[in-house]
Amino acid sequence: MSLRLPAWILVAASLAAAPAYATIAVVLNSGDESISIVDTATFKEVARRPIGKEPHHLMKTPDDRYLIVANAASNELVFLDPATGNEIRRLPNISDPYQIGFSPDQKWLVSASNRLDRIDLYDAKEFKLVKRLPAPKVPSHIAFDQASRFAFVTLQESDEVVAIDLATHEIVWKMKTGKQPAGIWMTPDDRHLLVGITGEKYVEVIDWRERKLVKKLMTGQGAHNFLPVGDGRHVLLSNRIANTVSVIDQQTLDVKESFTVPGGPDCMEISKDGKQLWVTSRWARQVVVLDLGTKKIITTIPVGKSPHGIFLKDHAPRR
Amino acid sequence: MIDWLERTFGALHQWTFESLVLPAASALGLSGYAEHLFDGTELFLIGVLQIIVLLAVLRPLEAWRPVERWASRKLVRSDVIYTLLNRLGLVPLAVFFALRPLVDGFDGWLRMQGFIPPNLEDWFPWLRAHPFAAFLVYLAILDLAEYWRHRLQHRFDWWWQLHALHHSQRQMSFWTDDRNHFLDDIIARGWFAIVALAVGVPPGHFVAALVVTQLIESLSHANIAISFGRVGERLLVSPRFHRMHHAIGAGHEGAARGCNFAQLFPLWDVVFGTARFDADYHPTGIRDQLDGRDYGEGVVRQQWLGLKRLFGRDRALAALARAS
Repeated sequence: MSLRLPAWILVAASLAAAPAYATIAVVLNSGDESISIVDTATFKEVARRPIGKEPHHLMKTPDDRYLIVANAASNELVFLDPATGNEIRRLPNISDPYQIGFSPDQKWLVSASNRLDRIDLYDAKEFKLVKRLPAPKVPSHIAFDQASRFAFVTLQESDEVVAIDLATHEIVWKMKTGKQPAGIWMTPDDRHLLVGITGEKYVEVIDWRERKLVKKLMTGQGAHNFLPVGDGRHVLLSNRIANTVSVIDQQTLDVKESFTVPGGPDCMEISKDGKQLWVTSRWARQVVVLDLGTKKIITTIPVGKSPHGIFLKDHAPRR
Repeated sequence: MIDWLERTFGALHQWTFESLVLPAASALGLSGYAEHLFDGTELFLIGVLQIIVLLAVLRPLEAWRPVERWASRKLVRSDVIYTLLNRLGLVPLAVFFALRPLVDGFDGWLRMQGFIPPNLEDWFPWLRAHPFAAFLVYLAILDLAEYWRHRLQHRFDWWWQLHALHHSQRQMSFWTDDRNHFLDDIIARGWFAIVALAVGVPPGHFVAALVVTQLIESLSHANIAISFGRVGERLLVSPRFHRMHHAIGAGHEGAARGCNFAQLFPLWDVVFGTARFDADYHPTGIRDQLDGRDYGEGVVRQQWLGLKRLFGRDRALAALARAS
C-alpha cells in the first residue's frame, strides 16, 4: 500500500517551514566572516551565517538567478539564493576577489584583487581565468563602458584609473586622479566616469574618451562609493569620513544635495519602491535605514563587524 | 554577555575612531587609509584593555602569592616599556609596515605562477560552518608553529643571541612576555605571518588568537606560585611550567637547548619530548649572568647589547659559556 499525502498538506507543511519574512536584505560582515539576513519588513536580523573570509562585495549574476558573495581571503565566490540568502554552491580558486563586476555584454567577469595588486579577467560563462594583470597599487572598484570594450578600475594607492581593453586583455591607458580613488561609475550617456576620491572630499568627472578631467564635484570627505537611484538620472555617493550621502545629477553633473548618514556610510541599496535607503555603517556594526523623502533615519539595525556590501532582494532598478 | 561585551567594545571602538583617530588622520592627510586606521584602533584598544586586565588580575595575584619576593622592582621597569610598546601597537605597527609588502608581494607572485595558497577550510569544509571549532584548530596550528620557532630560537646560536635578552630577566613577572629584541620581534611576526598565510587564518580569528595568546603568555610569565593541577598543567601552559623554561641551569641548556618551549599548549612539549612537569621553582636568568655578564637594564642598552652579541666577537665565547 502506498502512502500518499494530500497536496494541501504538503503545501501547508512547506508554508509552515518557510521563514516568516517575505523579503530580505543580505549584509556582508567583512570583519567576522559572516552574513546577516535581515527581514526588510521588521528591520530585524533574522539569521547570521558563516560565509567565508573577508566578504566585501556582492552582486547578482546577469541572469538574476544567484547572488554572488566574493570572499577575498577565502579565494572563492559563494552563490546564494537571492530570495533566502541560502548557499547554493561555492566556486573555489578565484584569487582574492575583493570587488567583482560583469561586463554589460555578460561576457566578462572582472575581479579586482585589492591586497595583491592584480586584476583578473574571467570568462563569465565558465568562470575560467583568461588573464591576470599586475596592477599596482590596490585595485579597488570597477566600471564598464556600455559597449563592453573597456573595464575601468581604480587603483587606490597609486592614485590612478586604468582602462583594460577587453578584446586584447591589456591595460591600454592609465590616468592620474586625486588621492585614493575608490568608487567608479559610468554615467548613463556613456560619456563620463565618476570617481569617488576617498582621500579627499570630491568626485572627479572624467571624460574617458579624451582621458581628461572635466570637473570636480565637492561632496564630502571620504567620497567613496556609488549607487544609482533608479530614475536613470541621479546617483548617490557615500562620503565615509564626512558621514554624509550626496545626490549627484548625472545630466547636469552637479551635486544636488547631501544628507547625514552616521557611522562611516559605505555600500548602499534602495528599496524597490524608491522610498528607503539602506546603508552599511562601516565603523558602527550597523545598517542605517533612511526615508529617502524626508532624509530622516527610520531605524538602525545591529549587524556584524565592519559591514560592507549590502543587497536588497527587492531593490530599485540599477540605472 | 558576549553580545553585550561585543556591542560595548564596538561602541568604544567607533567612538575612539571617529572622535580621535579620524580627525587626526584628516588633519595629516591620511584619511584615505581609514580602513587600516580603523583596524589599528581596534588593536590599540584591545591592548589598553589587556593592560587593564593584567593590572587588575595578575598584579594582585603576584602580590598575594609570589614565587620570589624582591626588595626592589627596578629590573621590571624595562619590561613594562616593552609591554606598552607591544600591546599598544607600536611594535606590531612598525613590523606590519616592514613585512606586509614582502608577504603580499610573495603571495602575489605565487598567484602569477597560478598557485593560490589553500585555506584550511579547503581541506576540511566542515570547518566553514563551525567557526569556534575552526578557531581552535587555527589556534593549535599557530601554537605548534610558535613551539618550533621558540625551539629554533634556542637551537641556533645567532638566534639565541637575540632571544637571550628575553631570558636575561632575573625578576620575571607578567610584564616579561614582551621583553624581546626588536629584530627578534620582526622575525617572530614574519614567521607568524607566513604560517597564517599558509593556512589562511581569517582576520577575526587572528585578533581573537592574538588576544588569547597574549593573555596566557602574560599569565605564564607571572611571578605567581600557583599550579593548574595535575591535569591542568598538561592542558595549558601555567606560570610554573613556563618558569621552568626560564630556570638557570634547566630551561635553556642541554641537548634540546632547554625544556617547556610551548606557549599555550604543553602538549607540543610532551609530543616532542621536551616537557618537564617538576613541582619546584628555580631562579630565572642565564647562567653567565652569575659570572657577571651584562645584558643591560634599560631598553636601549639591552637592544644595543643584543646587536653586539649578534655581530660581535664575544659570540663564540657566549656559546661556549652556554655549552658548559
